[in-house]
Amino acid sequence: MNHPSIIGASIPRLDGRAKVTGRAIYTDDIKAPGMLFGALLRSPIPHGRIKRIDVSKARALAGVKDVIVGADTPQIKYGNWRLVPASQDELPLAVDKVRFVGDEVAAVAAVSSDIAQRALELIEVEYEELPAIYSVEEATAEGAPLIHEESQGNVSLVRKIEYGDLEEWFAKADLILEDEFKVHAVSHAYLEPCSSLAVPDEGGRVTLYTSTQTPYIVQCLLAHTLGIPENYVRVMKTQVGGGFGGKMELRPWEFSASFMALRTGLPVKFTLNRAEELSYGRRRHPMSIYSKVGFSKDGKLLAKDFQVMLDGGAYNAMGPTATFLCGTFGNMLYNFPAYRYYGRHVYTNKPPASAMRGFGAPQAAFANETQLNLAAEKLGIDPIEIRLINAMQTGDVIPDVATVSSCGFKECLEKVREISGWDAKRQAKTPNKGLGVGCFSFISGGVFNWFDTKYNFSAAEVKVFDDGTAQLASMACDIGQGTDTVLRQILAAELGISIEKIRLIAMDTAATPKADLGSWGSRVTLMNGNAVIQAARKIKDMLVPVLFSQFDLNQIHDVAFEGDEVFVKANPKKRMSFAECVYKALRGRRGEPLSAYGYYTPRDKGLVSPAFSFGAQVAEVSVDEDTGLVTVDQMYTAHDCGVAINKMAVEGQLEGAIQMGLGYTLSEQFVMREGHTLNNTFLDYKMPTAEDMPPSVYAEVETYEPEGPFGAKEAGEGLAIPTAPAIAHGVFEATGFRCRKLPITPERLLRGMGKLR
Amino acid sequence: MPTPRFTFHQPQNLEQALDLVGMYRTNGKILAGGTDLVPKLRAGLMDVHHVVSLNRVPGLNRITFHEDDGLVIGAGARLADVALNPEVMKHYPGLAHACSVMATTQIRNMGTVAGNIVNSAPSADTAAPLLAYKAAVILVERGGRRHVPLTEFFSGPGLNVMEPMEIMEAIRVPSPPRRSGSAYLRLSARSKVDIAAVGVAGFLALDMDGVIIEARLALAAVAPTPLRCPEAEAMLAGQKPDPQLLTRAAAACVRACRPIDDVRATAAYRRKMVQVLAGRVIEQCYQTAERGDA
Amino acid sequence: MAKQLIELIVNGDRYEVAVEPGASLAEVLREELYLTGTKVGCNQGDCGACTVLVDGRSVSSCLTLAVEAHQREVTTIEGLAPSGETLHPLQEAFIEKGAVQCGFCSAGMILAAKALLDRNPAPSPEEIRHGLSGNLCRCTGYVKIVEAIQAASLKLAAGKEAR
Repeated sequence: MNHPSIIGASIPRLDGRAKVTGRAIYTDDIKAPGMLFGALLRSPIPHGRIKRIDVSKARALAGVKDVIVGADTPQIKYGNWRLVPASQDELPLAVDKVRFVGDEVAAVAAVSSDIAQRALELIEVEYEELPAIYSVEEATAEGAPLIHEESQGNVSLVRKIEYGDLEEWFAKADLILEDEFKVHAVSHAYLEPCSSLAVPDEGGRVTLYTSTQTPYIVQCLLAHTLGIPENYVRVMKTQVGGGFGGKMELRPWEFSASFMALRTGLPVKFTLNRAEELSYGRRRHPMSIYSKVGFSKDGKLLAKDFQVMLDGGAYNAMGPTATFLCGTFGNMLYNFPAYRYYGRHVYTNKPPASAMRGFGAPQAAFANETQLNLAAEKLGIDPIEIRLINAMQTGDVIPDVATVSSCGFKECLEKVREISGWDAKRQAKTPNKGLGVGCFSFISGGVFNWFDTKYNFSAAEVKVFDDGTAQLASMACDIGQGTDTVLRQILAAELGISIEKIRLIAMDTAATPKADLGSWGSRVTLMNGNAVIQAARKIKDMLVPVLFSQFDLNQIHDVAFEGDEVFVKANPKKRMSFAECVYKALRGRRGEPLSAYGYYTPRDKGLVSPAFSFGAQVAEVSVDEDTGLVTVDQMYTAHDCGVAINKMAVEGQLEGAIQMGLGYTLSEQFVMREGHTLNNTFLDYKMPTAEDMPPSVYAEVETYEPEGPFGAKEAGEGLAIPTAPAIAHGVFEATGFRCRKLPITPERLLRGMGKLR
Repeated sequence: MPTPRFTFHQPQNLEQALDLVGMYRTNGKILAGGTDLVPKLRAGLMDVHHVVSLNRVPGLNRITFHEDDGLVIGAGARLADVALNPEVMKHYPGLAHACSVMATTQIRNMGTVAGNIVNSAPSADTAAPLLAYKAAVILVERGGRRHVPLTEFFSGPGLNVMEPMEIMEAIRVPSPPRRSGSAYLRLSARSKVDIAAVGVAGFLALDMDGVIIEARLALAAVAPTPLRCPEAEAMLAGQKPDPQLLTRAAAACVRACRPIDDVRATAAYRRKMVQVLAGRVIEQCYQTAERGDA
Repeated sequence: MAKQLIELIVNGDRYEVAVEPGASLAEVLREELYLTGTKVGCNQGDCGACTVLVDGRSVSSCLTLAVEAHQREVTTIEGLAPSGETLHPLQEAFIEKGAVQCGFCSAGMILAAKALLDRNPAPSPEEIRHGLSGNLCRCTGYVKIVEAIQAASLKLAAGKEAR
C-alpha cells in the first residue's frame, strides 16, 4: 500500500523538548493565586456504617477554609456506565457506608497542605463495623453480607456469551481439559500521582486541571455530581504522567476540588501521595477462572466453557467493561465452533479494580494460553503448531462480534518461531531453561456505547491558514503514548504539509470539538485518526476548486497535496504552495475562515471493535532451582498493528508493555491483610527496574486495516497481554511446574517444584 | 504528610556535635545521610525536636586502609564511596558488594555505612558482611570513646547499645589474613538493587593445606537483628569443605535464624534461602581463599 | 523551630530562601523557587523522579533536607539547558531516541544519567542499567533510555575529541 512517507516515520514526540527541559506542565506544577490545598479523609475500616461525623474541630483550625462530608454534597451517584444507571454505584464522598479501607469520607481545603493534613486528624468519625469480605468465593457464598444492599448476592453484573452446541462439541472431543486459574491485582503505577486543581469561574462555572485520560467523561460526570450544566465544567488535561487505565473515571478529589472551589470562590488543588495511590488506588482485576476446553486429537479447538469471577472491589468502576471484554477475549484469538462465557463482576471490601492496560485480556489470556499449552503437551503437538491450527485469519468471523478485517496472526506465529530459534532450542533442551509462548489479540477501541454519549466517539476540527499552517483541535488525550504526535502525522499526511506547521489544541473540553471518549481500549489512533482524516478531506474539498479555476482544469483531473504544495496529479507543473492555495480560497470565500469538523463513530461494526491487533511472543527463561528466582533471558515478539503510523512510538509501547508484563508475571502484587494494603511503597511494590529488563527483539508483521487511518490499528494494550503466559510456559519448560496462579514468586515456584513445604 | 517540625543544627566539629547531642539527648536525633531518618520524621514516627547534622564535621567521611590496622570507615562515608573504594573492593569484597547493591544509586550517594548500622534494621545490608569481617564500632561521647564489637552492638529491630549522648565516629574492620576469602549474597524478589529478603555473609581463613582455620558467617533479614552463626562456624573450623559439610553448616545457619513472615517473604522461604545462600557463600569464600594469598 | 535562612546555588544562580528545617529540597525547589521540572513520584526515595545533582552527585531531592543543601551547588533539569536553545546531548538523545513518553521520570532519569556519564564517560549497557536502577519508569521499558544514554555518551566523547 502506498502512503505518504510521514506514515511509518519515527518522528520524535513533539512535546519531547518540553519534557526533557523540565518545562512541560503537569497538574501539580500549577499554582493559582489564592490557591487552597486539599486533603482527603479516608475510611480506616474495610466495611462499616458511618454513625457520626464531627468536623467542627477541623473547621476551627486556623487556615482551614472548607471541610466537606457526604451530607454537604448533592449526593448524586456516578459511574462510567451511564447506559446502565443501576451500575452507577459510587458517591464522591461516602454518605451512609464505607466499603473499603480508603473510601473517601471527608475533604478539607486549607491555606497550606500541612494545615490540611492536620485538619484531617481533627475530624471525628464514628463507625459501626460490618463484617467484611475479601474474596469472590466468600462474597458469592450463601448468606454473605451484602456490600451494596441492592446487589444480587454481591454480584453487580453478569455477562453471558453463548454460541454453538457446547455439549455436542464436547462429546466430539478427544481431549477435554478442565482447569482453574487465579490471577492477582497489580497497580498501574503511573509515575505521576493523581493531581487536580479546580479554579472557580464566573457564573458558578469551574475549570478543572486534572491528570486524566478521559477529559470528556470527567466533564460530564463532574457536572452531573455537582448538579450543574455540563457546559459549566471545563476540563483542562495538563501533561499526564501515565495512566494505563487508572485515570479514566471521575475521582473523589476531582469532585472535592471543584465543589470546594465553587463554595469558597478559591482555587483548590489535591495531589495524592504514593502511599495513597498504592493503598487505595485502582488496580487490575483479580480473577478466579474456570475453563473447560475440548480438542480433537489433531489439535482443533472445538469447545470452550469459560467461567470467570472478577474481584471488583468495593465499586463497579470500569469493572463492567472488563467483565464484557474478558468474555470476548476468550474467543478472539482462535476460531472454534462452540463457546460459552459466564462472567460475574463481584463486590468485595477492597479498593476497586478498574481498567488496566489490556482490560480483562491479560487475565483471560493467562488462562487461555496456558490451557492451550497444556493441550499441546497432552496431544503431542508443538505449542506454536497448535496455535497455527486454530488461529484467526482475515475474514474469519468472531461469532456475534465482528468479522476480522485484517489479521496477521499466523504470520506472527511463524515469525516468532523463526526469530526465537524455537525449533532448534526446543530440541536442544538445556536444564533449568525453557522457551514459552503466549499470544494476544486486542481491540482498536470499543463499539459499545456504555458511556451513552450523545456525541460522536471522536472528533477533530481542522483549520488552515494562508501562512501555510494548520491547527488541529481535538479532545484526544496524550498521556505519554504519543497520540499528539501521531494525530499530527495523520493530518500532515492527509493535507500534505509539514508536521511542524501544525499546531495542536488538545486538552481543553471548552475549545475542542465534542467529543472524545478518551484514551483507553487502544482507541485513539484508529478513531481519532479517522476523525482527523475526515476533517482534512473536507478542507481539501474547499481548496481543490482553487486549482481548478487557477489552471482551468478539465473535470477529469485530480489534485494532490504533498510537500506543502498542491498540484495537478497528471501535470505536476500546475502547482501552487499550500499557503497560496489557502489564501486564494479565503479570497474566494470572502473572508470566511477555512475550518472543518471530522467525526468517527464505529457503525455497523458489531458489538466490540472495528479492528483487531494480533501477535505472538516467546520468552526465554532461566530458573535458579534452589532459590526459585526466574530470570527472563530474552523476549521475542512478532505483532500485527496494521500499518504503524509512528514506528518509534510503537516500539515504545512494546518495550513498555514488556516491563509491565514482566512485573505482572513475576514480582508485582499487593500484599493485603484484612482489607489493608501492606506494601504501599515502591520499595515493596516491586515493579521491574532497568536492571531487571530482558533484552528483546521484535518483528512487525504489517497488514493493512481497511477501517484504520492509513491502515493502522492498535498497538498500545495488546502487547501487555502475552508476556505472562509466555513466561509461565517458559517456567514450565524449565522446571516441570505449571503455574496456574500469578505471580510466579520464587516461593510459589519452589513450593510447586516440591522444594519447599 | 505534614512537614516535620524541629530545630536543625549543623556543628562544625566533633566537639560541637557532641555538645549538641548531649544537650538534646532526650529529643534529638543525629543525621548523616538522612535516608532512613527523613522518611521516619516525615511519617511522624518520632518525637524529635532537634536534628544534629554531622555533614559539616570535617574528617568524618574518611575511608582508610593499612595492612596492619585494617579498614576505618568514617561515620560520614557514603555507601557509594565505600562500594567503589579500591581497598574495600580488594580486601572486603562482601562489604563492597553490599554497598553497591543495596537501595538505589541516589540513596547510596547519600546514605552512610554508619547510618545503616545505627539504624539497626534487621535487614541492614552492610551489617552481615561487617559481622563476618569482625568489625567494631567506635562510639564517642564527651570525655570518652569506646570500641564495641559489632556482635555486641545490636539489641533488637531498630535497637542497639548506643547511649543517647553518643555518636558513632567510625567503623573499624580488621585486616583480613592471607589465604582468606569472603562474600555476601542476598536475595529479593526484584533485581540486585533492592531491599534484601535474606542476606548471608561469610569469611573463611585457610592454612597452607587448605584447612579452614577460622570461619565466620553472618545473616541479615532473618532475625530481629543481624547475627553470627557460631554453631556453623565451629563446624567448619579445622575442616576442608565437602558437600556434606556444606549442607550441615548451612543447616546450622538455618538453626541460628528466627525469621518472620512479612511482605517480602515468608519465614519458611527465608529459612530455605539461608540454607541455599549459606552453602553458596561458604563455597565462594573457600574458592577465593584458595585462589589468592591476598 | 523557626524557619532558617539558607543560600542555595541552583543552576549557578544564588537564592536566599527561608525554609522549615523539615522541608525537603524537592519541596523548596518546586514550591519556593518554582523550578517544577523536578518531579515528586513517591516522596520516599524509591522512584528517582526527584533526582537532582548536589555538588555533582545524584541524590533524591525528596530525602534531602533543604537546609543540608545550604551553600551547595544544586543542578536541576532546568540547569542542563539554561538558554532553552541548545540542549545537553543527553536531552537531545532522549528526544531523538524516543526515550520520553509520559515524561514524568525524564528529568530524574536525565540527571541520573548525567551523574553516571560524568563519572564513567563510556559506560556499557549493563553499567547504564545499574546506574539507572534507582529511577523507575512505567512507560518505556527503559530500552530507549539506555539507547539514548549510549548515544549521548558517544556524542559527548566526539565533542571532547573535536576540541
